[in-house]
Amino acid sequence: MKLYIGGICQGQEELARKDNPGAEILIGFHESVREALSRGEDPRAFAQRICGEKPDSVITADEVGAGIVPIDAGERAYREAVGRALCVIAQFSREVWRFTCGIGVRIK
Amino acid sequence: MIALVTGGSGCGKSTWAEKLVSSFPDEGRVYIATMQVYDEESVRRVARHREQRAGKGFETVECPKDLAKVQVKPGSTVLLEDIPNLLANEMFDGGDTDRILPAIRDLSEACRHLIIVTNDVFRDGIIYPGSTQEYIRRLAGLNRNIACLADTVCEVVYSIPVILKGEMPCV
Repeated sequence: MKLYIGGICQGQEELARKDNPGAEILIGFHESVREALSRGEDPRAFAQRICGEKPDSVITADEVGAGIVPIDAGERAYREAVGRALCVIAQFSREVWRFTCGIGVRIK
Repeated sequence: MIALVTGGSGCGKSTWAEKLVSSFPDEGRVYIATMQVYDEESVRRVARHREQRAGKGFETVECPKDLAKVQVKPGSTVLLEDIPNLLANEMFDGGDTDRILPAIRDLSEACRHLIIVTNDVFRDGIIYPGSTQEYIRRLAGLNRNIACLADTVCEVVYSIPVILKGEMPCV
């Protein structure tokens, strides 16, 4: 598994596709976490399930946790859930790349 | 040493900060808890943090405001968690935000290692009403000042430590 992250539209999706031809690429993992939450699935358990089912996939996600804590309890829970789930994915991944202005820095 | 640990929501910064504390010999470990418990969510958060720290030999000191009141033994390792809560309490609950930085300086001289957890709240592009904007400005100022004092500044990105200043500690 490889993980490509960054702020919104920082180039993680383009580079994930370019660098991994033929690989299964899961775009927008943060939105998948939102869907998992709405199904009542625990975010960590969801991430572990993905690691088990698609161990060779490439995952892209937006970082969503670097703002003022939202007043809305659901949004608060979502941000934290994305963090917890991506910790699981990052630990499982062989490579973690973080993008700013289209430039990727390998942090793992 | 002084270490500043930052990161976004749910990124694993507390876990990493605790690991860093545990990497030092146990000559007294103090956890300074700054969060005021006022609802069920904060009760759950405190419970989760307590569970995370269980068995690591921490003495917990509650300090929502006025950090200078906390007395620690020389040689101890102190984990201060966290700056956003301490600032919010000083700013919105009848305290004094100007006493935070001097108290951190004094605390760092009183103990052997001071690990400080803060938060990255600066990248959502939202302009908030006056007092929240002022809170963001002061938190950013504190983070910058603490980073100047610190030997090590580390951003935790989804459990991965990224060193911004100093050497990667042996965690």
